[in-house]
Amino acid sequence: MMMAEEPGSYQKLREEGQYHIGAEPLNITFNEIGRRGQRRLDGYEKATGKALYTRDMHIPGMLYARVLRSPYAHAKIKHMDTGRAERLPGVRAILRFDDPQVKGRDLNGSYFAQGWARPKLAGWALKPVHLVLADEAWYEGQPMGAAIVAESEAVAQQALSLIHIEWEELPFILDQEEALMPDAPILRPGAESNEIHDPRKFYEVGDVEKGFQTADQIIEFKARRRPHLWAGAEMPSVLVRWLDDRLEMWVHQQQPYIAKQLIAEWLNLPMDKVTVNTVYQGCSFGGRGNPANHSENGINVLAALLSKITGQPVKMLFDRRDTFFGESGDISISDFKVGFKNDGTITAVQMKNIFAVYLAATGIDHFVDNTRIVNLACEATPVDVSIGPAWWARCEHLTSCFSLTLVFDHVAATLGMDPIEVALKNDGTHGHDTGYLDQYKREHGFPDRDSLKECIEVGSQAIGWKEKWHPPGTRKLTNGKLHGIAFTWDHNWDDTRGTGSAAVMIENDGSVTIIGQHVDIGPNPWTPLCQIVADEIGVPFESVHIKPWTVDTGFVLMSPDGSCNLVTNGNIVRKAARKAKQMLLELAAEKFAVAGPEELDIRNGVIFIKADPANSMLVREVVAKAMPMHVSGAFWTQPPIIGWAWHNQGIWGQANETERPRLCRQAHFMEVEVDPDTGQVEVTHVVNVNDVGKAVSPEGVEGQMYGGTVMGVSRGTIEEMIWDPQTGVLLNGSLLDYKYATMLDCGPIDTPFIETGLGHGPYGASGIGEATATIIPALLGPAVYNAIGHWVDDFPITPDKVLKALGKIQQCSDE
Amino acid sequence: MLNMTTDSYLCPYCSVRLDTFNLLKAHVRAEHSTDPLPLPEGIIQLTINKQAYQLYVEPEWMLYYVIHDRLGMTGTKMFCDRGACGSCTVIIDGRPVLSCMTLAIECNGKTIETIEGISADHHPLIDAYIKHHALQCGYCTPGFIVTAKALLDHNTHPTEDEIKQALAGNLCRCGTYPQHPKAVLEAAHVLQEGR
Amino acid sequence: MNKFTHINATSIDEAVSYLQRYGNKASLVAGGTDLFGKLKDEVMPTYPEAVINLKTIPGLDFIRQEDEILKIGALTRLADIATEPIIQSKYAALAEAAIHTASTHLREMGTLGGNLCQDIRCWYYRSPNNRFPCLRKSGGCCYALAGDDRYHSIFGGSVEDGCIAVHPSDTAPALIALDARIKTSKRMVSAKDFFRVDECRTTILDDDEIVIEIHVPQLAGKSTFAKFAFRKSIDFPIVNGAAMIVVCDGLVSTAHICLNAVYVIPYKATLAEQALIGQPLNDASAKAAADAAVSNAKPRHRNQFMVEIARTLVKKIVLACQ
Repeated sequence: MMMAEEPGSYQKLREEGQYHIGAEPLNITFNEIGRRGQRRLDGYEKATGKALYTRDMHIPGMLYARVLRSPYAHAKIKHMDTGRAERLPGVRAILRFDDPQVKGRDLNGSYFAQGWARPKLAGWALKPVHLVLADEAWYEGQPMGAAIVAESEAVAQQALSLIHIEWEELPFILDQEEALMPDAPILRPGAESNEIHDPRKFYEVGDVEKGFQTADQIIEFKARRRPHLWAGAEMPSVLVRWLDDRLEMWVHQQQPYIAKQLIAEWLNLPMDKVTVNTVYQGCSFGGRGNPANHSENGINVLAALLSKITGQPVKMLFDRRDTFFGESGDISISDFKVGFKNDGTITAVQMKNIFAVYLAATGIDHFVDNTRIVNLACEATPVDVSIGPAWWARCEHLTSCFSLTLVFDHVAATLGMDPIEVALKNDGTHGHDTGYLDQYKREHGFPDRDSLKECIEVGSQAIGWKEKWHPPGTRKLTNGKLHGIAFTWDHNWDDTRGTGSAAVMIENDGSVTIIGQHVDIGPNPWTPLCQIVADEIGVPFESVHIKPWTVDTGFVLMSPDGSCNLVTNGNIVRKAARKAKQMLLELAAEKFAVAGPEELDIRNGVIFIKADPANSMLVREVVAKAMPMHVSGAFWTQPPIIGWAWHNQGIWGQANETERPRLCRQAHFMEVEVDPDTGQVEVTHVVNVNDVGKAVSPEGVEGQMYGGTVMGVSRGTIEEMIWDPQTGVLLNGSLLDYKYATMLDCGPIDTPFIETGLGHGPYGASGIGEATATIIPALLGPAVYNAIGHWVDDFPITPDKVLKALGKIQQCSDE
Repeated sequence: MLNMTTDSYLCPYCSVRLDTFNLLKAHVRAEHSTDPLPLPEGIIQLTINKQAYQLYVEPEWMLYYVIHDRLGMTGTKMFCDRGACGSCTVIIDGRPVLSCMTLAIECNGKTIETIEGISADHHPLIDAYIKHHALQCGYCTPGFIVTAKALLDHNTHPTEDEIKQALAGNLCRCGTYPQHPKAVLEAAHVLQEGR
Repeated sequence: MNKFTHINATSIDEAVSYLQRYGNKASLVAGGTDLFGKLKDEVMPTYPEAVINLKTIPGLDFIRQEDEILKIGALTRLADIATEPIIQSKYAALAEAAIHTASTHLREMGTLGGNLCQDIRCWYYRSPNNRFPCLRKSGGCCYALAGDDRYHSIFGGSVEDGCIAVHPSDTAPALIALDARIKTSKRMVSAKDFFRVDECRTTILDDDEIVIEIHVPQLAGKSTFAKFAFRKSIDFPIVNGAAMIVVCDGLVSTAHICLNAVYVIPYKATLAEQALIGQPLNDASAKAAADAAVSNAKPRHRNQFMVEIARTLVKKIVLACQ
């Protein structure tokens, strides 16, 4: 939900030809784009084990660093004695919280705190004050106190245990409602209250009271989402070395350029003296995009300081338990009040969301983006509690998806109506109905297609909705379990934002290189970019590659912090490819002796005169002398053919300086079997339908769909972080005790995607990397309701909660 | 065994002296029916990917640490470090086991295969995994492929269910699970045809 | 991990002598899948000085039938037990328990002896760096009593205000239901008498005593095993159970039902067994047995759901013996 804050900026870009509203007419032929069977560019390295991840990096002379973590949920260091640790053989240096380099210094990078970004939203999401090495911890597991570097990880770890600390224990609170009580102790050092100021606290559009008055029925219900995290495969680490006064880093992060900026700012180094390298990333679902977090920026700062002190390269590592502090997603307690007519039209939605630690989105957003409901109100309050920082965990739209799903499905259930009907009745945008969307599509050149209807049509068929949907709690299977089937919908938001740059260079032999630093977290990001460049220029896919993606080249493709990276990077490389193609054709025009490049085209690596296709040359024949460098002075050489481009997807397609309406939709269907005796919920079939606008890599699209479903099912049924109520210590900080789905824990998943061309990305594409994973957890709610006839609006939906809803036990585990 | 003053070699079993080390080894094999001679403490001999190694290891070093950090075979990955995810899987004497929960010092005399050996042999699983997109971030992938290879070594015609059961101890956070049975079945067919 | 002396034992006697030499400062290692987790997390107040490897002792890894007794060496891998045809056909509960233990890899490493001797999984006990020095670690109290007890005992503690951590083994209830006996370096003990709750121990083994073999007598009836866990792989049980039931002339003559992960040691559901004796084996009697099994349950604040799961599981394993 990006409001333009600098009106006129894109007028200027528009003049420069960088800006575009609406769909673009297609002027290329899809040969590689959309083709199945393109070999993944990252596949060989990953499958053979040759892919290097940050954790694998090694430099001769490298030392290992670990940081102390608070054993208490809220405590202050009264006295710290590091003598024994210093004397342990193998320890090279210890950085203490009271050492001058770090004393009292914040971790910079409140994501929008810098003057050049959005100071008004500085309250958004983060603890603005998070010291690099604090003396007071506000959650158990907080990195603070001291960081140690030693000859091995084992020695560093052992040294930490030799530090003797006298602690002053302070009160802690785990529940956000409790933390809001007037007499609650302040939990975060330096804060004035436990409520985190956020300018988005109150939102109202229309008049909800009037909306309730015009309603035929009003329902109220509560819902709750408990803490979970994404627990990525590769634990955070960083490798740092100084070369004189220059810093070089290998980071496990999603936004290397921002990492560079932040470390330069913290260390007071000019950015031209910082090189940030990125290798393969073992998962990153958002948390590695939070700079005010130790797992992103803090680890870099500490490692850089320790490397400076020791004069040697330093690798700082987190272990698995460390990952439980800083990767968690948003946590909420919600109250909903919904007014609606008997025909399913929703007249008013009012919600109150209290978040623990962090507010990603208020929860009302998708009602604004996707519906014609005119009366909306939301009160959203983030509250400090004594647990680690949260951040986007695939993704920041979690609350919005939950709200939309639960509200719509509760309304449908109350009316006994098919939830598909309720969805279609309310589809729209910004209080307008689908007629408005249709008009937008017409005015801006989009195809005349109804994304939601098409998604629903495809998905209903695939799951057998008409045959299988039944009133709640009415279908018992022969195996004794209760069958449930449910539907939800939303828009695909991954064409929203992002900026980046890249260059496309035609090598001397006619092959093509995409130049730009990038981070690969797994969604097959480069294959589609090469497909796009191949078709834009007119060369085979096999002759396009991306390099050097690991290295800080000055061009930085958008890294996946919102999965808008397909759409943003697609546009970037498309623009750059077009420029390169133009340069190539201008050069070719001389060789062909035609009037201008507009008389030529390229197909399959062959440049030809449009009016006389037999008159052709291979690309490599044309570029034979276009080289970046050449030794001999006797040869005429031509300059290399490089086109570069920058793109801002955030303003792309904006109309009238407001948000773009979301045109691409998604619809998901789920079947479950609930065991009424044990409460266990088994997901037996899922159908995901995402409108991706245009699938550049069909397999990549499908991977995000089923991959997101696996994560979503897991999150909705078995994932929960659990703290000891007496001490605030995290009890399940391991992957044995914090459970996520194995191969056996989700039934078959069908992924029929549709392509309407309604995305704001290149060729009408929309990304979907976040979409499915974020909405599927919510779908468990209506699915279980349909099975047992009772709502369990407390996620994850574990067996105890089902049993309680069925009246078989009085109390469930989370109470 | 080397007597510094007389420059000869002493048998540790019967104390007879031999002039050269090779004579000592031959004597030990012939007279005491044992081979090799006891290694110095901490030295292990093992075969990794058909290559013989003789290494010094500390007692508390895990096999993962030796393979990944000390020998530089970084394909084997650490994900959970507690035996709950399968990413550190190697094959020891035909069994898929977790290198993060195996002491290196207990691997004396063992034959070990890692992902590097499997890929050097161009096992059809490699291509099948790439083709079927049974990988995304790729961090868990070596663990899956090694586990699948161990399955195919013992079961040349696995069913889809058998594949899922075999791989059920491997975690993937990206959610690639639906693709693995397809990839393993394809690799199995390729192997069947090759036989 | 911290340093320790590693010893490859070459015989039981040698292992015993090292145990005697080190007192309680040595740990035995079989598969290592339990021990190394504990050492990595530094769960215990003290760290072992020595780790004694049992895998180098020959003759402990076998499965054989001798005089109608199934004998399994303590170092036999769970994977081998799960796939052994004779166990699958004649001692089904044990095969099913083995195949449902953990994961592929852990079954290739884990041994039957190790599975029986494994330590408790209570998340207070297992908290890294001995964060909660509890009753079982010579500390003052049981932290689960006032803490989060959702996976803890539903049949009360070891003593009043005592430990409520459950025993996590999958093979233990199967062996108890099958009336197995355990041969150690000192004695022969019935599986149902093998377990005990005390500081730093979960069995009756002395500090210098080692499990050598497990003996299972020929069964007179069908046996089954079932396990309830949140996931279908890797997980320890929330509740599991095994049953061996003999039906004679249409009526139950022998019923062994053992649950685990519901009490501090494997729990023989004697009330359920009694409810079945003399009854036909059918839906009604299975339900009655199930209700009896949990009739004396004392669930805690957060683990009421385990009672229902135990009830359901008992009914299921009883019926599966038809």
